[in-house]
Amino acid sequence: MWMKIALIFVFVAFVVTNVTAQIDNDARCKCLCPSLPLPESNETRKGNQFKQYKGDPDPSQCTCRDVVLPKLSDAEKAGLPPEFCVRCDCKYENRNTTIIKVVVIIVIWIISLLVVYMLFLICLDPLLNKRVQSNYTEHTNEDEMSGGEGVSHAMGVRSNVLNRVGHQQDKWKRQVREQRRNIYDRHTMLN
Amino acid sequence: MWGMVRRELARSSGGEYVLVHQQEQHGVRQVHEDNSANGNQHRGFSMSSDDDMIDITTTGTVTERSIHYDDPGTSHLPGVTYCMGDGEGESLCYQRTSILQHVAADGDEIPGIGQYEDFHTIDWQRDIARDRMRHRYIVKRRQNSLFDLVKGAHDAWSGWVCVLLVGLTTGVVAGVIDIGASWMSDLKYGICPSRFWFNREQCCWSSNETTSFETGNCSDWLTWSEVLGQSRTGAGAYIISYLMYIAWALLFASLAASLVRMFAPYACGSGIPEIKTILSGFIIRGYLGKWTLIIKSVGIMLSVSAGLSLGKEGPMVHIACCIGNILSYLFPKYGRNEAKKREILSAAAAAGVSVAFGAPIGGVLFSLEEVSYYFPLKTLWRSFFCALVAAFVLHSINPFGNEHSVLFFVEYNNPWIFFELVPFVGLGIIGGVIAAIFIRANLYWCKYRKTSKLGQYPVTEVLIVTAVTAVLAYPNPYTRMSTSELIYLLFRKCGVTNTDDLCDYNRNFTDVKSAVDLASAGPKVYRAMWLLVLALIFKLLATVFTFGIKVPCGLFIPSLCLGAIVGRIVGIGMEQLAFNYPHIWVFSGECSTMKDCITPGLYAMVGAAAVLGGVTRMTVSLVVVMFELTGGVRYIVPLMAAAMASKWVGDALGSHGVYDAHINLNGYPFLDSKEEFAHTSLAADVMQPKRNETLSVLTQDSMTVEDVETLMKETEHNGFPVVVSRESQYLVGFVLRRDLNLALAQARRAVEGLRPSSLVLFTSNSPQQPPQPGTPAPLLLKNILDMAPITITDQTPMETVVDMFRKLGLRQTLVTHNGRLLGVITKKDVLRYVKQLDNEDPNSVLFN
Repeated sequence: MWMKIALIFVFVAFVVTNVTAQIDNDARCKCLCPSLPLPESNETRKGNQFKQYKGDPDPSQCTCRDVVLPKLSDAEKAGLPPEFCVRCDCKYENRNTTIIKVVVIIVIWIISLLVVYMLFLICLDPLLNKRVQSNYTEHTNEDEMSGGEGVSHAMGVRSNVLNRVGHQQDKWKRQVREQRRNIYDRHTMLN
Repeated sequence: MWGMVRRELARSSGGEYVLVHQQEQHGVRQVHEDNSANGNQHRGFSMSSDDDMIDITTTGTVTERSIHYDDPGTSHLPGVTYCMGDGEGESLCYQRTSILQHVAADGDEIPGIGQYEDFHTIDWQRDIARDRMRHRYIVKRRQNSLFDLVKGAHDAWSGWVCVLLVGLTTGVVAGVIDIGASWMSDLKYGICPSRFWFNREQCCWSSNETTSFETGNCSDWLTWSEVLGQSRTGAGAYIISYLMYIAWALLFASLAASLVRMFAPYACGSGIPEIKTILSGFIIRGYLGKWTLIIKSVGIMLSVSAGLSLGKEGPMVHIACCIGNILSYLFPKYGRNEAKKREILSAAAAAGVSVAFGAPIGGVLFSLEEVSYYFPLKTLWRSFFCALVAAFVLHSINPFGNEHSVLFFVEYNNPWIFFELVPFVGLGIIGGVIAAIFIRANLYWCKYRKTSKLGQYPVTEVLIVTAVTAVLAYPNPYTRMSTSELIYLLFRKCGVTNTDDLCDYNRNFTDVKSAVDLASAGPKVYRAMWLLVLALIFKLLATVFTFGIKVPCGLFIPSLCLGAIVGRIVGIGMEQLAFNYPHIWVFSGECSTMKDCITPGLYAMVGAAAVLGGVTRMTVSLVVVMFELTGGVRYIVPLMAAAMASKWVGDALGSHGVYDAHINLNGYPFLDSKEEFAHTSLAADVMQPKRNETLSVLTQDSMTVEDVETLMKETEHNGFPVVVSRESQYLVGFVLRRDLNLALAQARRAVEGLRPSSLVLFTSNSPQQPPQPGTPAPLLLKNILDMAPITITDQTPMETVVDMFRKLGLRQTLVTHNGRLLGVITKKDVLRYVKQLDNEDPNSVLFN
């Protein structure tokens, strides 16, 4: 489990560095300008009379002059008041779609894994553990003490690994149970 | 654990131990013992002239000996409870073996020494001394070989490497959380069918249509009503969107609550009170673990997306500290030394704030001002570096596509006029009042939750709060949008192209230069103000009920939002005042040109700082965070004025910031270094044991293994002073219970022929009389003895004692009189005493 999560994080880090290294960013220059024809000069502005212009992804050329004016028709240009460009708002923005994609997919994966594991712990685990629990309680303290070396030799490597994983899981479950008791039952913490 | 040990003992020593004690009446046994072998177990003061002060009667000791001067909250001392109590002995036995196996590679040192039990206080002095020893050892070895030289070099730079890794990881995790949360939040409204991983803004990124504030939609983005085959607008679409909003909110909230409950209950809440406690030298096992990290990261995304009135900035500090803790295990220098580990955690906390607000310097100051307890200069530099790295990584991930690490970054360069300080201070006062109301109400509610039946239904509570929040939030556009977006909207100044309601001014654009002049507010601005007032009330109430539910939830964003709403309203009021009466003296003519004179966005910022300052009682770090958010130093004075005013008002209305209040509520053993101790009591008043009680001590060379075990069985103290002998109680040193346990267990395994009658020696040489033939070999335990315990005399004023506890980070100090041991003061005694003086229940300090 930890390996998997560690791998995911390494993968994220790798992707992040890798992607920032490439010039994969899609950039835009977004200009918001009043829609033409402009309202009468003494009329106050109302509503969303705006038009977006998007242009060359070059941060130094993200101005009304470079982006908007070339896109206007000659007729529009002819009647263009001098303050047109002042009322335009040009913003250069970039983003990285690959990072977004990777991150969102990883987030979905993590959440689904957690949900599946949670459902497993809620539904299946009690059934599976009922059997295990009965012979688990027979393990007395003495067995526990020597269990690390003695018992594992008898069984194969495979069951040893399984045992250890199971042991880790039991230990973790106990810790969580203790945490739950602290917080939800006794209310001694995190109120 | 003890039960196990005993059973083992019984086996190994052939039943020489008859452990009847557990079944017997406590008192009877003690009387028996008191009167028998060690009749002189009480203080050896009978010869001194201080008899009037110390009563040496044996009456009363029987019962009162069970009052422990170092009482670990009844069931929190695992070594005792688990094995005697609820049958979970095997868990502890297992833990113990694992510890032993784990540290066994350490060499001749007894494994496990220097670790602490759960819910115990660490001993800074001892840990720092241990590190110094280790460091000296490495330095000495450096000349020996090239390998040792490399090892020494690695040791020297491992602190920097560790914080570098922490910074990198924190930045990445913060980026993931930011992107994930913004995507999931927009999932409540609709979906981007062509590329489902985009949120609404990203989906409409390359669309050429104009997006408006209200809907923010383009044709690429499908709202749920469109997905379900309805139109985009209309009553039916509204109802469907409404229902989908509530459904998604409930789904996210239930997921968050059940994940927290299932996997990591410690992941709930903001985490800052606990981080503060941990950094002050307390052990909460699992609080900074892997599962907490994962569940808190996922949970905060879910709970932010659920539209609850909470923020992800506080939990970011917790997440960063988890990362710091996990990564510190890569470097044994930090992983195995709790005091050193806290240096890494301080740096990690700085990185957390740094990524939360894109404010590296603010993060460092936050760590220094708010969370850290022990903050040497070395840690300052490391925090700085860590915060820098984290901010850089997050910045290059660029999660919001705005080249900044926060959504609500604004850039301001408008001047402010001198008179505006009055409304700024006014905002500070309002902020302080709002904060005080919030803290009172929230504390009341949390207390109610703690004591009533409500606390038994944590998941249900989350669902109810979410449902109510969603139902009430949706109709108001300002509460429907995410809180960060709302803050951005309020902070922003109305530019030429902003078309939302807040920017509906009757401007005319005849003049080229008239871009952002003063103008009379249009009707939509007034409508927006009403909605904002409703939003303020709603957010305040919602946050009171939200902060403390069992999902990850932070407090920074809601407080900022409350303040920003108030500030914006005041700002618009001022603006209209200036517009309508530009020539009155207060504006001193500066507004007569109608240009750039009042900026409502700036008021929003000041208000936000005021409320946040009132809630958390931060000052310096808050101002720095705020000006890093705005990218300008021009507003330091207004922000300082507001922060100061709000702190004063807050302090006057309620004594604690919200984090300290929660620390008090939970009874964490946090010795606040901000408060002064203004009583004239002496160490003798606080010291344990009280009159008529005996002090449990070990003698340096006259106790047998059996005696020691009996003493440990009968008492629950976490440490025992070692004296020369019972007759002359001159202090030799101090030994911790845990170390004693471990050492005895180790000896039982390793030393051949250890008998219950073996002498336990805390001296380096054998006792004066040569051992008679037949007596077993003595057990030498000098290596676990702390030969330099901090001692004070019984006449030391408590003020000094409290100062020592705070500044040296002591766990306990020994009290002497005429050079003889008289008693012990532990951190818990001090905390209890302080509580008692504050007329609070001293038993609310739960842990040791």
